[in-house]
Amino acid sequence: MKKITDERLIMKNLKNIRIAFAVQSLGIFAILFYEFLQGGIDQMRNNPIWLVFMVTTVVLAYLSMNISVDSERTLTQSNRSLQISAIVTLMISLIVGILTANTPGYGIWDGAIIGGIIFICGLVPSYYIYRLRKRKEEVFEEDEDE
Amino acid sequence: MKNNVKLARIKANLTQQQLADGVGITRQTISLIEKGKYNPSLKLCLQICYRVNAQLDEIFWISEEEFNSEENN
Repeated sequence: MKKITDERLIMKNLKNIRIAFAVQSLGIFAILFYEFLQGGIDQMRNNPIWLVFMVTTVVLAYLSMNISVDSERTLTQSNRSLQISAIVTLMISLIVGILTANTPGYGIWDGAIIGGIIFICGLVPSYYIYRLRKRKEEVFEEDEDE
Repeated sequence: MKNNVKLARIKANLTQQQLADGVGITRQTISLIEKGKYNPSLKLCLQICYRVNAQLDEIFWISEEEFNSEENN
């Protein structure tokens, strides 16, 4: 097959892929909803499609961060916002960790593990946003120098 | 967007297919550009200009009034 070099067709192809993605997502959503109706939330989560759905959502969320950072009108102080995010994430994970540890049937280790996972899962996107903002600041400084 | 690609192409004695092959796109895209139904990227505009031996402003420049009236349509 010949490689497409026509920019119009490349764009059209991307738009087609977007439509296909929407159809696929709708299908996945419908299957998961059906599973949910059949056997509740546990059966829905047991389906490997749930994992596909979650991975896609996470990837899409990370890609959207790129766009949100670019659409920020003013430069956010990246260091400060990272500190705030880290503190908020730490507090939330501590609260959830303590509550889990105090729940009957769960020990202190369960609390530590759940708290730790929440902390890492919250910190990774904050750090990613921080890196994006830092890079944007560098580009902005370059523009100012010119 | 209105442009003078067709005029410049005829002046350069090229067919749509020859111009399309020269810049590595399809004839359909050249046709749409000439009809003003597709806006090429700046890169493609320059490639077209090189092929028809013309300046960018000769082919793609339109006045602000024309631009605004096209936007409103």
